Parts: sequence; C-alpha cells; structure tokens
Amino acid sequence: MAKIKTEVVIVGAGAAGAILAAELCKVGMKVVALERGPKLKTIDFNPHDELRFFQRQDTRPDPKKSVVTWRFNTNMKSQPLNSMSYGNQVGGGTVHYGALSWRNHEDDFRVRSATVERYGETFLPEGSDVTDWPISYADLEPFYDKAEYDLGVSGRAGNINGQKIAGGNVFEAPRKREYPMPPLRTDVASDTFDKATKNLGLHPFISPRAILSEPYKDRPGCTYCGFCQTFGCHVGAKSSTLVNKIPEAEETKNFTVITGAMCHRVNTDSAGKATGVSFYGPDGSDNQVEADLVILAPFVYDNVRLLMLSKTSLHQNGLSNSSGLLGKGLMTHIRPSVFVAFDDKKMNIYMGPNAQRHSIDDYNADNFNHKDLGFIRGGQISIGTAGQQGGPMGAAINMVPPPGIPRYGAAYRDWYAKYFASHMSIGLQIEDLPYRNQTIDLDPDVRDAWGLPAPRITYDWRRPNELKSVAFLTKKIEEIGKAMNAKYVWMGDRAQPGAPGGHHTGGTRMGTRPDNSVVNKYCQSWDISNLFVVGSSTFPTMSGYNSTLTIEAQAYFVADAIIKRYRQAPGPLV
Amino acid sequence: MKEKTPSPTTETPALDRRSLLIGSALGAATSVGAMTTADAATKSHASHPQHAHGTSQSHTHQRQGAFLNDDDYATIIAFTERLMPGASGKPGAKDANVANYIDLALSGAYTDQQYFYRQGLEALEKHCQAQYKKSFMFLTVAQQDAVLAAMDENKAAGFTWPTAKAFFEKLRLHTIEGLFSDPVYGGNKDFAGWKLVGFPGAQPFFTEEDMKSGKPFTREPIIGMQQSQARTRKG
Repeated sequence: MAKIKTEVVIVGAGAAGAILAAELCKVGMKVVALERGPKLKTIDFNPHDELRFFQRQDTRPDPKKSVVTWRFNTNMKSQPLNSMSYGNQVGGGTVHYGALSWRNHEDDFRVRSATVERYGETFLPEGSDVTDWPISYADLEPFYDKAEYDLGVSGRAGNINGQKIAGGNVFEAPRKREYPMPPLRTDVASDTFDKATKNLGLHPFISPRAILSEPYKDRPGCTYCGFCQTFGCHVGAKSSTLVNKIPEAEETKNFTVITGAMCHRVNTDSAGKATGVSFYGPDGSDNQVEADLVILAPFVYDNVRLLMLSKTSLHQNGLSNSSGLLGKGLMTHIRPSVFVAFDDKKMNIYMGPNAQRHSIDDYNADNFNHKDLGFIRGGQISIGTAGQQGGPMGAAINMVPPPGIPRYGAAYRDWYAKYFASHMSIGLQIEDLPYRNQTIDLDPDVRDAWGLPAPRITYDWRRPNELKSVAFLTKKIEEIGKAMNAKYVWMGDRAQPGAPGGHHTGGTRMGTRPDNSVVNKYCQSWDISNLFVVGSSTFPTMSGYNSTLTIEAQAYFVADAIIKRYRQAPGPLV
Repeated sequence: MKEKTPSPTTETPALDRRSLLIGSALGAATSVGAMTTADAATKSHASHPQHAHGTSQSHTHQRQGAFLNDDDYATIIAFTERLMPGASGKPGAKDANVANYIDLALSGAYTDQQYFYRQGLEALEKHCQAQYKKSFMFLTVAQQDAVLAAMDENKAAGFTWPTAKAFFEKLRLHTIEGLFSDPVYGGNKDFAGWKLVGFPGAQPFFTEEDMKSGKPFTREPIIGMQQSQARTRKG
C-alpha cells in the first residue's frame, strides 16, 4: 500500500480534471491526478480501426468491469447497461468525442425564471425540478472564451456583442469575439441540410467543434479522415485535453498522473474535512493520497457514487449530502433520428468529422414560442451519420432500413450496398428536465470488478413534458428530411422508451443554498469546504447542447476561484 | 442429438465433413435456387479438384480461428451467407470470410461468448432436425431462409437460452462486424465488405473536392491497417 502526499488530488483526468490540473500546476500547486484508464498517445490512434474503437469501444469503460445498472422505476429490478459512452483514459471523453463545443444559451442558465417570465408560473411542468443555475451566462462568458482559445475550437460566430451574423448561429448567446479559428469544411451532407433548412425558413450554421480547422498552437489541422467520433485523432487535431492540457500540466513538473487508479473513497477526518482519497491500483493494492484539497472530476456516475461510498458517522447519507439531493435530478439527452438516403448523389458521410456537423438552433432552448405547445425547452438538431461515426459497420448496426426493406438477405444487401454512401441522419438531442425521482444511487445487488456497488440509474424519460417535446420535435426533423428531395426518408428507432442515452448531467446539483443543492457555484461542497465536485453532474438543468465546452468553461472558472481566492484563504467561497 | 445425414437428393453419396466444409466455403450456394447447399457443395468441389479430397484448406478461405468444430463452422458459413448472400459482383459473407472472423473472435476477444454460441448452435440443430430432419447446412436455401425468418420473429422452436431472436441478432451483428472490420480481424477478405458498399477504408485524409463531389469515391487504393502500419514504419 502506497501513501502519497500532495497539495491537490484530482480524481479523473478528463475534460475538467486536466484543465484544473494544468491551471493549478501553472501557479505552482502540486497536483496528483488519478485516472482509472490508461494514458494513450497520438500514435495509438494511427490504425483507423472501426471494430476496435467504435464497436468494441476501446476508449470507453468496459461495461462488464465498470458495471452501471439501470431500471425504469423503483418497482423494477435493475439490469446492467451493455455499453458506455463516456471516456476511460487520460483526456477522458475528449479523446473519443465528436468535439461539439457549444456555449449554453443565456436562458439555459435560468430555465425557471425564463419560463415564468415568458409563460407564467403555471407553465412549469408538474413534478419537474427546474431551477436557475447559481451562475449566469455573463459569469461564464470569459471562461467560455478562454476554453475556446486555450483548447482550440473552430467555428463561426453568430452573435458578437449582440450583433447577429448570418452564417453563424444567430440564436447563440452574445460572445465578445470571433472563434480562434474559422469553421471546419462543409461537405455534401451539410450543404444539403443547409439548403433544406433554409428553404423551411430556418437558420442553419456549421457546428462549432474542438477540432483544428488550421494549424494552431503547434498542432496540425484536421485531415478530414473521418475517423473522429469514437476514435482518438491520429494527428492530434482534435482538441482533447490529452494533447493540450495534460502536456501543459506535465511541463510544470508539478503534476503527476497515476493511471490504472480506481478511486473508491474520499477520506475525511473527525472534524469532517477531506483528508485525501483511497484508490485501488492495477495490482489490486489499496493506496492513499493525502491532500489539502480534493477535487472530484470523473464522469457523473462516479461523482455521485464516490460521495455515497465515502459516508461516515458524521456524513451518514454520504459526503456533501446534507441537502438530501445527492444523486437526484439525473438528466440525459433523448435522441430520436430521421434517416434520409438519396438516389442522385452520394453523401460520402464517412469523410470529415462525423458528429452533428451542421445544425439548426431554431427549436432549441426557448428559441421558439412554446405558448400553445404545452411543453418547455427543446432540442438541438443537426446532420450526421447513422452510427455516431461514419464507417460501414456503425451504419449497418445503427441504421434500420426503411419500411419495406428487410434487415438481412439479398434485398438488404442490395439496399445497403446502394445507400450506405448516400445516407445521412438528422439527429435530435432533446433537453430532459430534472426530476427528483430520476436518480443515481448504489445498487444493493450488483458490484463492479473492484467489488464496489454499481451505480444504479433509475430513469424513464416518458414524462408528460418530454413526450410532448419528443412528438413535436420529431415532426420537425421529419419535415427537414422531406424537404431534401431524398429517395427515402424514414424514422430511426431511437426515441424508444429505455435506458438513458449519452450526455449525462445532474446528480450533484449546484445551487444558491446548502438546502437546495450539493455544491455552490464554484462546485465547492457546501458541507466540506476542501472538497470540490466538478463536471456535468453539477448542472441543475441540461440544455439541448452537448455539455463538454460548458464543463471545460466551468473548470477554468473553478480553477480561477481556487487560485485567486481559495488558495489564499481556504474555506467556503460562498 | 441426431446424426447429421447428407441430403437424399444429393447425387454424390457419403460427402465427408471436411470436403463439405470446404465446398461450402467456396461460395457455391449463391448460384443455387432450389438446389441444396450440399448439392452446391458437391458441384463446387467437383469443379475444384484440388479440394476434392479435403486435405488442404482453400487458399480463398483461410481459417484461423480455433473454437468452432467443423460442423459448427460449416453451419456458421451457411447461416451468415443467408444473412448477407453473395452474388455476381456483390461479395457476401462467404466471400468476405465472415465465419473465419467469428471463429477467430470466439477464440480471442469474444471467448466470453463461446457458451452462447454453443447453446445457440445446438438449439439451431435441434430446430432444423425437428422441422426438416436435416442440419441447417443441408437445407435448401428456401428452407434456410424460413429458419432465419422464424428466428428473427422469435418463433423458432428448440431455443431456450439464448432465445432464437437473441441468437439471430448476435449472428447478424457478428456478420456485420466480419464484413466491415479491417481484414486483420479475419473477415472482410480482400476488402469484400468495403467494396460492396463503396467504402475506401482507412484513408488518412480527404480533400475539399472529395467532400464536395457528391459522387462515388473511387481513388485507389482502398487502405487497410496493414498498409497504413507499413507506411508508418517506413516513416
């Protein structure tokens, strides 16, 4: 059993963990980061291998080892999920993600107030727990800016200081300046989507992504090889924290990352302060890191689970749970899709970064009038592939053929041979509201490979608000499909009731008071001031957008508060 | 379990297991209508005398896996070929060596699925014997398709765990994997799967012109991992 002493220990070296590590190390703080997975190199991603990286999920946790279970409701027995969509290596999910980099809308930070102001108190969906964030867009804007410039994001602004710019996202919150790099290339698929949505009076734009459109900070631009989402980048053009913040942290000599380290407990003393963490090594050893400051930054599941596992007589319901809200308000995007396939042109959608390449924001957030619709919030709509990434294996697995075409045999072969290279998928990711009975807790019956109780998700998106929202928005993506003059336009099968999708948020909600949240706006535990919990688990509401850039901006925001205030006077920041 | 017997319609008596296996591996079933797979196998190896004695593996169907027995291997070949049949100019599962991919995976990455396959194959045999008094590989193409349809609808009797539907879905999934994974995994022989759908493999880049063409991408070569690794080694 090893015992390590340091100033700061960070659990999870992903989007948030790597940024915090680099920022704190640069001012001279000594940081040890624990990472469950390995540390890979850019050369590890050279073989473009759809079987290994997409289908066998090499950069993601093994669901048989890192077991997570799910059930619809408390009356049902849980069952293990068979795939994971978050990361399992240094760099976390930013290694294999599609690199979508959104700034939340202004109203994404104040869902409750914005809804009440526009539609009245009675419009708030019954049973939901929508609330405002304790921080505003204006608070986070400088840190969004920092994330875009520091990490490397390509895009076209749609709103600079209130000035709307055609070709950018005219619904975006005002930014202070343009993106650091021009947008990535468009292709036939994005051009087709652009034209069809314009014809419908909508406002298409090329999606901002943390992928270099040109050389930036000693990294090369994207080669458009197409092995992007679910893959690590073979030239390092994807702005993963593995290739930007981790090297930066290492350069300071103040940083140590321990891989293969499964953190299983946050240790606290008799006064209730955090003293460090315990972790299992790859050899099964039980080790300790003693630290003045503990920062939890793993995926949503382990933020919640670690706090629950670390209960003591002083913290009987788990750490940082005096509010009783730990594990509550889990949200995930609901993601139906419509497929289209063409006779007269090839989409060749396996070329270029695959995910959500071109978007509309007209039906996201509160960008449209919900007055007569009976639901709040919306979803992000974009064009992409049927299989997360562009290869023929992913599309064959994920794309049900249109009605009338069988799923196997000669007719299927002929259909797939003809339409693989001319298909695309109109994707929808719908904002899920927070509900107190949509939760993560410890599964009493199932343990993971380390012998720890599996995180158990209780989740069923079929609430009145979500059912109406899914029905309305699905019609919109069908309309867009029909406006493309395609040979086939048909529903994918993803809006089925079932297990939670990707992009998990909530569970350690941030808030304005100790009784309405787990952490304060600096992601600092209300109960234990030397314990910070960062990442999307702190989001009180989720937005229709992918959450990574907001997680990253939050990490800079928290680092700033630790460096400028906490370090001088450790104690509650609020 | 009943002894598998060759089809009574077969002209050639006493097909031995190995020659059936090899014959069946040669892709002859794609040319048959009402002909049985066994007929096709016979004709096929008659026209390929070098395989008549079944003493050597076909060069066109390399077998690298180490899990499936010869009967099961032949069954997988026949089954996956019905899932993704080959035709002239349209490579199918057999052309792509999908069964080899599956056998290799079951010997390595998917060892945890061996029991699933054992049970599934045993139930498939039970089902075919009960329904047709023959093994799957000796059924006519129409009968084989009827078995697939019954499994797809989870109506095929004889299955418990895995269910008929679960076994069908697993075979469909692994057929897709074997067709479209890089050839280093034992399937997608000569890029058969990629050629079928017009996928150029692991290209290191695409140009703006490529991305805007709207036409089939035809620039040679199709690139697999072995070439790409070789290129890296040369610097």
